[in-house]
Amino acid sequence: MTGAVAAAAGGCHIFSGCGYPAPSLDNFIFTPIFSIGSFHFTKPMLLAILSALAVIVFFWAAFAKPKLIPGRTQSLGEMGLLAVRDQVLRPALGKKGDAYLPFIISLFFYILVCNLMELIPLLQFPVMSRIGFVWPLVLMMYGLYWYLGFKAKGFFGYFRSWIPSAPWPILIILVPVEILKYVVVQPFTLGVRLFANMFAGHLLLSIFMVATWYLASFSVGLLYAAGSLFMVFFVFLLELLVDLLQAFIFTTLISTYIADSLEHQH
Amino acid sequence: MIIGMRTYRRPGRAVATSAGEAASGADSHLTAGTGWNVFSYLISGMLCYGGIGWLIGHFTHISLFFPIGMLVGLAISVGWIIYRYGRPFEQGNPPKGDDR
Repeated sequence: MTGAVAAAAGGCHIFSGCGYPAPSLDNFIFTPIFSIGSFHFTKPMLLAILSALAVIVFFWAAFAKPKLIPGRTQSLGEMGLLAVRDQVLRPALGKKGDAYLPFIISLFFYILVCNLMELIPLLQFPVMSRIGFVWPLVLMMYGLYWYLGFKAKGFFGYFRSWIPSAPWPILIILVPVEILKYVVVQPFTLGVRLFANMFAGHLLLSIFMVATWYLASFSVGLLYAAGSLFMVFFVFLLELLVDLLQAFIFTTLISTYIADSLEHQH
Repeated sequence: MIIGMRTYRRPGRAVATSAGEAASGADSHLTAGTGWNVFSYLISGMLCYGGIGWLIGHFTHISLFFPIGMLVGLAISVGWIIYRYGRPFEQGNPPKGDDR
């Protein structure tokens, strides 16, 4: 517990002489759980591992011994699998994209569980709000769809496929834009979108949670605390939607980029 | 296949190609990623020509080139997006410069 949260938990209430301990960047910095030399193992790392384990254990339990008449876990797993296949993978890649289904499923549920960590009591931190977790993920995806492009069309063929079919005077204007789009904008927006949404969501939740605690006192502040508590529930539901949406958008875009790499022909 | 006006103007709703093959989601030209592609073009255009404008402005000491470059980039992006995605097209005949 750091910064504003610690101050609020320490009995900092309205009319007690201390100001509102507004959440800040401190909320995203954790004291290490343990350290090995200069390596510090922190809470976000633990949550990232827990998320991966949760996804592995769930799908292991669901599909290790699949039955013709599915049990409860298998049904739930199948529902998740079909939802991702039909809403994310198929619209971008079609039926031939089913080879990427295990990859897209793992990615979707890993990001989703990482995001949902912010809503689980005691854990209460979205892993993807630390950009250090987002960039490696983006880098892997970037490497993947470039690799697939090279494999499908050859080294020069892939770069040639970036050039749109348009009259040559227009191409002079457009080619720099296309290059910038593929090399910089696509990976950058992919990463920043996920990070910024999780970061802002966590901050918003913290603000209202701390405010509820800060305003709760035997005074008129109690009324405002109730209002703030309502906002906590509202933002909680909103974040539930955002967590799902961000996992969806990330995997949809990866599917689209993979489709681009495989099919982008002029 | 006879195509109604509404379907003609909304390629995402097209259900079959002229060859008569059933279209899966990947065959329709406007997918979920199209919106993000458009967004990427807008940012890229502004970044690219804004950058060129900034460079010219840096060497000529005229700071106006930077916003002008951004606006030019935006105009190019919008023009390209309209050219590529905006016009209605017949089934089986993808829009110009389209990737799928």
